[in-house]
Amino acid sequence: MNVIGESVQTRSGRDEIGPVASGRVPPPEASVLRNGLTRSKAHMVQAVTKSVMLDDDQEMIERKLKRLSQEKSLFDRKTSKIQFLMCKVLLMIMYLIYGFYRYFQYEYNRMKLKLLNIMYNPSNTPQLIRQDVNKLKKIPKRLAAILEMKSASYVGGGVKGLMNDGSELVCWTVSAGIKHLILYDYDGVLKNNVQDFRKEIRAKLGKYYGPSNVPKYAIRIPHLNKIYFNDEDDATSNGKNKVAIEVSLLSNRDGRETIVDLTRTMADLCAANELKLSNITMKLVDKELTHLVGPEPDLLLYFGPALDLQGFPPWHIRLTELHWEEDNDDVVYSVFIRGLQKYSACKINVGK
Amino acid sequence: MMDGGSTIPGYSVALEWVKNLFSRTIKSSNCVPKHIGFVMDGNRRYARKNEIEIKEGHEAGFSSLSQVLELCYEAGVDTATVFAFSIENFRRTPSEVDHLMRLAREKIRQITQHGEIAEKYGVRIRVIGDVSRLHKSVYDDIVATTELTKSNTRATLNICFPYTSREEMLHSIKDVIAGGKKSGEINEASIERSLYTGDDPPLDLLIRTSGVTRLSDFLLWQVSERGVVIELFDCLWPEFGPMKMAWALLKFAFRKTFSDKENELEDDDGVLENQDDLYIKKTL
Repeated sequence: MNVIGESVQTRSGRDEIGPVASGRVPPPEASVLRNGLTRSKAHMVQAVTKSVMLDDDQEMIERKLKRLSQEKSLFDRKTSKIQFLMCKVLLMIMYLIYGFYRYFQYEYNRMKLKLLNIMYNPSNTPQLIRQDVNKLKKIPKRLAAILEMKSASYVGGGVKGLMNDGSELVCWTVSAGIKHLILYDYDGVLKNNVQDFRKEIRAKLGKYYGPSNVPKYAIRIPHLNKIYFNDEDDATSNGKNKVAIEVSLLSNRDGRETIVDLTRTMADLCAANELKLSNITMKLVDKELTHLVGPEPDLLLYFGPALDLQGFPPWHIRLTELHWEEDNDDVVYSVFIRGLQKYSACKINVGK
Repeated sequence: MMDGGSTIPGYSVALEWVKNLFSRTIKSSNCVPKHIGFVMDGNRRYARKNEIEIKEGHEAGFSSLSQVLELCYEAGVDTATVFAFSIENFRRTPSEVDHLMRLAREKIRQITQHGEIAEKYGVRIRVIGDVSRLHKSVYDDIVATTELTKSNTRATLNICFPYTSREEMLHSIKDVIAGGKKSGEINEASIERSLYTGDDPPLDLLIRTSGVTRLSDFLLWQVSERGVVIELFDCLWPEFGPMKMAWALLKFAFRKTFSDKENELEDDDGVLENQDDLYIKKTL
């Protein structure tokens, strides 16, 4: 502790604390960033200085007030303030260095993603996807994907963009020969627009397979216990076994809230003496939740820059393999196929 | 990295000093994760890789853990939850299970001793999970030792032993039902409170080593919450150490500072051009 105190004191002697608040000169890294790199970096620097200065201003006022009231312990307080300020300055330097590094990392990741997108380009042909998938040793039985709705002002944003992403994924999954797909979006936008989504899927599949050759599909909304086959309104027309893909639409509602619902139901049953507490086992809960939400997926794809599960049903991600690409922001085929590749290489040994 | 430098006099003092300075600096950002979860994966692979006994691999893992925890508590982390032993781990060979039990017992006793982490940082140590599966003698011993740290309030260390998240959720559901609440009074919060981590702040960061991209039944309920950061490292746990932890803390603080600042800036002056806004958001 003393070592720090001393070093901070000697350093602060060089730095002069007073001017820091009003006319702070940023360290050399800042000026490099400000002049050399893009403007956005300069904004970052601004943000840092702003945060530091904000604290300093309050501190100055505080210090003045205290100086007026108490002259005695001024020295002690001053040293601790100086220490704190030093930490802030150091923090800023660390942020700058990290920000610098992060900038290059970001550029590198984006470049990598661009190259991958060129390498893996299905261009609406199921055969190409088949070729990619046939090389793999094993493929997941159930695939899940977390989708996010982007702001409507961007290209590929809004409800339309989300449905486009979702239906694209359905096509890839069908082409890869995977029979179950779970599409998760936090707010349940896909669920609420299920009729439009059905049409969108049909149109997309038509593009991949030709309009006369559209594979059969079923859309399931477990929460409402509804199933839609192809885009006909009559739910019983087609045999359930014949579909090429079953798409489950989930949202935040199917996560924790469903577990709460189950608890409520079981509490009622227990209160009515129809269920004993000792009969509530892992097997029972698992069975019920599988019934209410669906089985656990083998692979979960996330198309955002840093993994965020966004309330995905917690019971259902026990051994799920997670895949996302750092700094990626779009639903692209390269993430999909690389996820499958990763899954085919992974080895799951429970407990061992 | 330690081996090379340890012969230089004053090296450990300097290291300690750097560590303290770093943790204070990070602390001053006010963006330190309150609750961190650790999956310590790769001890056995480390042993195999370095051709040492599996036992020694676990030992190396423990020493890595204690250094990481020191850094965390110093930097102001409130709660750390570590995955020490999964219920599934009972499937391993009896001799290894035995050894892990002995190790846990020994180490829990060690960290509660005079001058060790528990006393130094005021850490309350809890063993969470399905403790009824433990051998009676192990259980009694653990209870007796953790009882000693009960009055510590500055920080918490949860040792998951033996634990799986599904068991935790099941336990919580049963607990809520046994509490005799009417079904209308049961909500998400009541289940959350009954989890083993119910009294702790919400999870902010999950760290898993050895490049495996699964949660393996650890803190599923907590991790699935929106906004929880998941960091996966390619190295094995004994190689993780305080340096990588420092990196993870810096990354977390950086991200948090700017995502908060971003919103503030938008509020008080809307001058940032859209493109730059978007760019900053992406780099965070």
